[in-house]
Amino acid sequence: MQHKNAGGIPERELKKGSAELLILSLLEARPRHGYEVSQLIELRSKGALRFRVSSLYPLLYRLEKRGWIQGRWVEKAGQRRRRYYRLTATGAEVLSSQRRGWKTFVRAINQITRVTGPENA
Amino acid sequence: MPDWTAEIGKRIASLNLEKAREVNIVEELAQHLEDRYQELLAGGATAEDASRETIDELNDSGLLEHEIFQIERPSPPEPAGRNKRRLGGFVRDFWSDVRYGLRMLYKAPAFTMTAVLTLALGIGANTAIFSVVDSLIFRPLPIKDPDRLTVLAFRQGDGPLLTPFSIADFRDIRNGTTQVFSGMLGYQMGIDGLSVDSKAERLVTNYVTGNYFSELGIKPRLGRLILPSEGETLGANPVIVLSYLYWQKRFGGDPRIVGREVLVNGHPVTVIGVAPQGFYGLYRFVNAQAFLPLGMVTVESVPDDYMVNRIQQNLAVLGHLKPGVDLGTAGSALNVVARRLAEDHPETNKNMSLSVYWEKYSRPDPRFGGILVKASALFVVLVALVLLLACTNVANILIVRATSREREMAIRMALGAARTRLIRQLLTESMVLAFLGGVAGLLLGLWASSASGSINLHTDLPLRLEFGFNWHVFLYAFAAVLITGISVGLWPALRASAGRISIALRESGRSVMAGKHRLRTAFVVLELAGALMLLVMAGLFIRGLNRVQQTDLGFDPENVVNMSMDPAKIGYNGAQGLAYYNDLLRRAQVLPGVDSAALISSVPMAYYNNNDYLKVSGYQNPPGQGPPLVSYSVASPGYFATMRIPLVRGRAFTDRDLNGSPYVAIVNEAFAQRFWPGQDPIGKRFAKVSGITNPTYEIVGVTRNSRFQLLTGPIDPYFYLPLAQNYSLSSEETLQIRSSLGADATVRAVEAIVHDLHPAMPVYGIATMTDSLNNLQGFLAFRFGAAAAAILGGLGLILAVVGVYGVISYSVSQRTQEIGVRVALGAQRGDILRMILRQGARIVALGTLLGLAAAFSVARLAAGLFAGVSSADPLTYSCVTVLLTVVALSACYIPARRAMSVDPMVALHQE
Repeated sequence: MQHKNAGGIPERELKKGSAELLILSLLEARPRHGYEVSQLIELRSKGALRFRVSSLYPLLYRLEKRGWIQGRWVEKAGQRRRRYYRLTATGAEVLSSQRRGWKTFVRAINQITRVTGPENA
Repeated sequence: MPDWTAEIGKRIASLNLEKAREVNIVEELAQHLEDRYQELLAGGATAEDASRETIDELNDSGLLEHEIFQIERPSPPEPAGRNKRRLGGFVRDFWSDVRYGLRMLYKAPAFTMTAVLTLALGIGANTAIFSVVDSLIFRPLPIKDPDRLTVLAFRQGDGPLLTPFSIADFRDIRNGTTQVFSGMLGYQMGIDGLSVDSKAERLVTNYVTGNYFSELGIKPRLGRLILPSEGETLGANPVIVLSYLYWQKRFGGDPRIVGREVLVNGHPVTVIGVAPQGFYGLYRFVNAQAFLPLGMVTVESVPDDYMVNRIQQNLAVLGHLKPGVDLGTAGSALNVVARRLAEDHPETNKNMSLSVYWEKYSRPDPRFGGILVKASALFVVLVALVLLLACTNVANILIVRATSREREMAIRMALGAARTRLIRQLLTESMVLAFLGGVAGLLLGLWASSASGSINLHTDLPLRLEFGFNWHVFLYAFAAVLITGISVGLWPALRASAGRISIALRESGRSVMAGKHRLRTAFVVLELAGALMLLVMAGLFIRGLNRVQQTDLGFDPENVVNMSMDPAKIGYNGAQGLAYYNDLLRRAQVLPGVDSAALISSVPMAYYNNNDYLKVSGYQNPPGQGPPLVSYSVASPGYFATMRIPLVRGRAFTDRDLNGSPYVAIVNEAFAQRFWPGQDPIGKRFAKVSGITNPTYEIVGVTRNSRFQLLTGPIDPYFYLPLAQNYSLSSEETLQIRSSLGADATVRAVEAIVHDLHPAMPVYGIATMTDSLNNLQGFLAFRFGAAAAAILGGLGLILAVVGVYGVISYSVSQRTQEIGVRVALGAQRGDILRMILRQGARIVALGTLLGLAAAFSVARLAAGLFAGVSSADPLTYSCVTVLLTVVALSACYIPARRAMSVDPMVALHQE
C-alpha cells in the first residue's frame, strides 16, 4: 500500500524531503538509535508523523552515505548492541542551511495566506 | 514471537548485498522490530496483534528493498554483478511505474476509455491493413529461395507487356541465360474436369515443366512429384499430382489415392502423389488443385505442334536468379537472347524484348504494373496517418493532464525525485495506455482482416485471399504500440517534468498553459490537414467506384442467371455435347417465366476467357508488332437477345450456322473500328493464327461495344463465334437465362433439366449476372478500395473533430474569466459566439489549406487507382473541404455556446 496525502502525492516523496530535516534536528542534541528517532518523531508530532521501518532506515542509510550523519554500534552492559547515529560536521552545516530555507518558506507561506486569506472569504 | 531476522532477511536477500552489510542491516532492523513488538505488548496488545502490527512496518509494497537497493548499490562501475543488479532495480522501478500508471488510469476512467479506444482504432486499422498488405506482398511463397524468384515478361515492339510465352521460346530463353539464372521453370494454368467413379468436378490445374517441383524445392506429401524427365513430350506422361487441399476435399485425405487412375477431361491419368500442405502453385490469388506434366495439355485438345509452335503462348515463366545477380544484369542477358530469337524467328518474334521482375513485387503478374504495390503503399500511408491522428489526439489529452499534474511533478521534484525518473514514470504511463490500445487494436484488426478475408468473391474458383495474422503482423503492431507510446507520452512528459517548479507552485498555471495551448492548436491544425487528406482519398475512391458503377456495360445484367457446365468433363464427344446443349436450350427456353436463354463460353468479367492471335484480311500489322491478340466467346443463337446487346449491323447467329455451312463471326464495334476504320465490316474476313483447324471467318454482324473484360479503360476488340461451328474451342459453356421467375426458382428448374439429361453432369458457377459482376475482376476491387478508404476517411474525420472540439473547449474553459469581463463590459452573446467561432475557423482554415496541398500531392502519386477519376477532381476536393469545414465548425459551436452562457459574476469570482 502506498499512502497518499490529499494532493495525491505519495507520502514517501513528501516525507523524504522534510524527514531529512527532522532527523538531522533530532540528532543535533546527541546520538540516538533508529528506534529512538522514530519514537521521538511520533511523540513530538503528537502522532501526526510516524515513520515505518521501511522508510526510516533507508533514510538513515542515505544520510549516512552522504556523510551528514555517522552510525556506530554501541554495546551497553546487559543490553543487545545498538547502532547509534550522530550528526557530523557536514550534517550540522546542512541542518542550519535547511533550517534557514524552511523558515523562509514558512514565512512566505504565512505572508501568502495572510494576503490571500480575506479575498477567498 | 516471530523471527524478525528471517522476515527482514527474506525481503533483502534478493539485493545481493555484501554479506557483512546485510548482516548489519538485518540486525539493526530486527532490533527495531523487537523494540516495537515489546512496546505494543506493554501497551496491552495481544501477542497476535502486536506481531501483525510490527510486521506491518515492513509491508510497503517493496519500498524497503527498493530504497536500500538504491542506497547500497556500489557507485564505482566495475563489479561484475552490477549490471545484473542495476537491471534488477530497473525492473523493479518499471513494475512500480506500471502499477502506478494503471492506478492513475483506473482513477480517470473517462480519459482512459477515450484514449484506449482512440489508440485501438488507430492500431486496429493499421494491423488490419498491414495484414492484407503483408499477405499480398510480403509473405514469401513456400518455396526454395523465394527472394530470388523472378517473373519474365516480353513485349513486341510497342505492343503490350505479355507474360505467356511459347514453350519453344521458353526453352531457348532457359538455355541462353544459364549464366544468370540458376534455374527457370514454367507452368500453364488450366480449368479441367476430373472424374472419379463417373462423377466429374471442375478444378484448377497447372501444367508444369518437368523441373517445376525440383527447382522450387518442393517435397511430396505423399508418393512422388513430377520429374524433370517428364512433360517434354506431348501426351507422354499421363500422371497427376494433387494439391493437399484438393486431396483432402475430394478424397478425404485417403493415402491409397497414389497409383489410382482418374479421368481428366475424359483422359485416363494416374495419381502419383500429393503436393505438400501450403503449396498451391505460383499464381498468388488462385490455388492450383492439381499439377500435370506440361506435355499433358493434350487433355485440353491442343494442336500437334503445340510444343514447338511459337505462336502457342500460354506458359508463365519464372526463374531463380543466381546469388549476386541483379535484375539489370539478368535483363541484359535476357535481351541478348531476345535479339537472337527475333533474328531467328522474325515471323513470330520480331522486335521482341524481354523483361524480368521480382515475383513478390509483381503479383498477380507484371502486366498489372505493380498496381498492388502502389495500392498497398497508398493504404499503408493513409492508415499510418490515421494512427498519427489518433496519437495526436491522445497526446493532446495527455498535455492537458500533464498540466493538471504539473504541481504534483513540481512537488515531487522539490522533494528530490530525479527528472529522468519522472519522465520514465510518465512514459511508462503512456506506454501502458498504448499497450492497452494495442491489445484492443489487435483484436479489432484481427476481426477486420478476417472479415475482409471472408468477402464473397462470387466465384467457385479456389481463390486465395487469406489475411491471417502472423509474426509479421504482430511485429508491426508491436512497433506501432511502441512508437505510439513514446510519441504520445514523450512531449507531455518532458513538459510536465521541465522543472518549472517555482512557476508551477506560485502561479495558477495559466501562463504555463499559454505555450502549451499554441502547441495543441498546431497539433489540431495538423490533424485537420491529415483528416482532409484521408477524406480526399476516400472521396476519390468513392468517385471512382461511382464512375465504374455508372459505366455503360453494353448489356443488361438484371434478371439473368448463370449456370456453367462442360459435357467434355463427363467424356462426351463433340456431337454428343452439341446435342446435349441443344436439348438443354430447347427445354430451358420453354420454362415458365423464362424470357430467353443462350449459351456463352465466358460471361462478362469472368476470371478467364479465350483469346487468339488473328490474321485479318486487309489489315497490316503495325511495323515491329506481331499479329493482334483478340479475346472472343463461343455463343449460341439467341445470345445477343438474351443479354440485350444491340446489333448495329448485319444479323445475329441462327440455327443455320452449323458445321458444314460457311464459318461466320460477329464482331463488336471496336473490332470493326480497329481493323477496318470507316469501312463496312460485313463480309470481311479474318482467321486465327493458331489452332487445330484455322477456318476463315466471315463477319455477318456487328454488335454494340459491351464490357467483357475490364470496367475501366477503352473497350478492346472482341468477337463471337457460333457454338455449333466451334464446339471444339470451348466445350465449357455458361447457360444464361433471362427469367422473371427469380433466381432460385430458375436455378432449381434448370438443375432438374440438367440432371434429367445426364445425372452426373456437374453444374457450377451458379450466380446471378449481377452478382458475378461483383467479383475481383468486376466491381469488387473498386468496392473494397472505396470501403477501406471511406472507413479510414471517416476515422480521420472523427479524430479531427474530437481534436478540434477538445482544443476549443479547453480554450473556452481557460478564457472563462476573460469572457466574463467582456460580457460585463457590454459584449453581446453574439459577439462571444463569433469570437470563439473565429478562433475555430482560423484553425480549420489553416488545417484545410495544409491538407489540400498534402492531399493533392499524394493523390497525384496514386493516380491510376481511381478508375479514371482525375487525382485533382475538383468535385471531390470541394465537397470534402465543405464537409470538413462544416463538421469542424459544428464541433466549435458546442463550446462556443457554452462560452455564450458564461455568467460574468460567476466567471469573475472563479479565481
